[in-house]
Amino acid sequence: MGVAVLLKQVPDTTAKISISGGKVDESSIAKWAISPYDEYALESAIQLKESGFGDVVAITCGPSRAAKCLTEAAAVGADRLIHILTESTLDSIQVQSLLSASVKETGCDLVMCGKQAADTNSGSTGPGLASTLGFSFVGGVTRVSVNGGLASATRLGPSGLEEVEVGGPCVFTFDKGESELRRPNVRGIMMAKKKPIDSLSPEDLGVNGTNSLVIIKDHSSPPEKQPGQKFIGSESIPEVVEKLREEANVI
Amino acid sequence: MVYEALDFYDIDSLLTEEERMVRDMVRDWVEDRVLPNIEDACRDGVFPDEWRAEIGEMGILGAPLKGYGCPGLSYIAYGLICQELERGDSGVRSFASVQGSLAMYPIWDFGSEEQKEKYLPGMAKGDLVGCFGLTEPDYGSNPGDMITRAEDKGDHFLLNGAKMWITNGTIADLAIVWAKLEGDIRGFIVEKGDEGFSAPEMKGKHSLKASVTSELVFQDCKIPKDRMLPSVKGLRGPFSCLNNARFGISWGAVGAAQSCFNSAREYALSRIQFGHPIASFQLVQNKLSWMLREITKGQLLAYHIGKKKDDGSWIPEQISLAKMNNVDMALEIARMSRDIHGANGILDEYPVMRHMANLESVKTYEGTHDIHNLILGRHITGIQSFTREP
Repeated sequence: MGVAVLLKQVPDTTAKISISGGKVDESSIAKWAISPYDEYALESAIQLKESGFGDVVAITCGPSRAAKCLTEAAAVGADRLIHILTESTLDSIQVQSLLSASVKETGCDLVMCGKQAADTNSGSTGPGLASTLGFSFVGGVTRVSVNGGLASATRLGPSGLEEVEVGGPCVFTFDKGESELRRPNVRGIMMAKKKPIDSLSPEDLGVNGTNSLVIIKDHSSPPEKQPGQKFIGSESIPEVVEKLREEANVI
Repeated sequence: MVYEALDFYDIDSLLTEEERMVRDMVRDWVEDRVLPNIEDACRDGVFPDEWRAEIGEMGILGAPLKGYGCPGLSYIAYGLICQELERGDSGVRSFASVQGSLAMYPIWDFGSEEQKEKYLPGMAKGDLVGCFGLTEPDYGSNPGDMITRAEDKGDHFLLNGAKMWITNGTIADLAIVWAKLEGDIRGFIVEKGDEGFSAPEMKGKHSLKASVTSELVFQDCKIPKDRMLPSVKGLRGPFSCLNNARFGISWGAVGAAQSCFNSAREYALSRIQFGHPIASFQLVQNKLSWMLREITKGQLLAYHIGKKKDDGSWIPEQISLAKMNNVDMALEIARMSRDIHGANGILDEYPVMRHMANLESVKTYEGTHDIHNLILGRHITGIQSFTREP
């Protein structure tokens, strides 16, 4: 028994992103962080562990820099750390097959991750993983607890809060939760430093390094917002009315 | 926007992963908790109690001390903690300096086994707050002539006298008080609630407004015999505490300077005058480049003295140089940054005026700028010039 938490390292949401040659220039990113929704998944997994449920296994898939988010997870209480080391850009199916192979290896039948990553916003990992693993799927939860063999979760549904109960293995994806995220402390950091990271290649997991079928062909910044226009005094009323009629088409 | 700390000479690459993680933890805490609330705290003249609790939870108090529930980090890590706290506010760093270097350290180094067991674990968690009473109303740079006296009354000590400018005094659960016992300076642990002890807060500061500053008053203050620190006599006791605190300040000042530099750089890039960002003008670039130069030198001083603290090869004069130089450069950078901000620099929307006012205190406490010059003067010439006595 245990919970597998999937963590993606993304540029910090406040970091400046610059694009060069149709690609995000990674060297210009000042700070990398665990994707915020994944942090809620991690918090919930640690709470489950504190309530007597099994160990927390943190898994990340990405280049060597991504190991940092595993150490950060260990500093707040993750027990086992798995790094699927991939240097090339993968598409969603490839990521899902790597993650599901590693989840199988851990034997965890609860999987938690964010509902979407802060960089791609695609939201495909959770549902895709559930499909590959043959697990149930509950998306957009804010809380998960386990009682006996049953997991129950709270999620914001279209008509209010839903309480969901799941019997078997399940993938939960997290929305911004109710609980405050815990901070690391020095004791946790010192323990994290000693915790080994299992570094696995796709081959170790029996997943062949097939080429990505979906690739991003180009990247560009969103168009810059036009500066606003200012009109002062009643003499500008005719001009404003004309602009609203001719340019904005709102009257 | 994410904070990009100035690190022109890539000191980051010299840090261990643990040191970087501790630094980032404190940096995140300062950004989440201190920066959004510091102006209110200053306006109200309070050090918020939740900051005490959260600093305690992070486990950074008494950073370089080992055992008795203390973190046992490197001096470099302690320096980084001070740097990040002071990037927030000098008052927040003062809280941690006083607790760790001035109150926990003397118990750890000069205390009895019972004293260490009794106080250090609670102090490391921030559950017990300590302060340090050396300076007196009439004895600042010259603590050796202090008036506060302890008398041995057989089954207890009796303290009489007063201390002034004591950070954390009013909120402290215990005070390390230096007093003369039969002519020798000795350290005593005075607890809140001890008979004849009071710690009224000093009001009206224009600097370190988010830090508690107090007087400590002893009127026939009666303390048990087991409260004297057994293993130190003379000024060596308080001075060895001050060496550690001054070391932390040399890093803290870098944090305050980085905050002012960062604000000046952002402001200069976005402020348009004569149709161009002021950052494009040579006089402003000259100021920014001077800041970068001085901060980089200060970082290298702080890092190197940190390494020497860690391997034990330091001398006190090296700490004097680092404290004096780095506070001096930080104060100059705060003033220069205010200048780049123009009139906006006086607003609490920017951190610079607050840092500037704080740094005036930091320049003065823990050995004034001038006294550190005299310490270096004695080192160079072999002639002390503190007093006219031979």
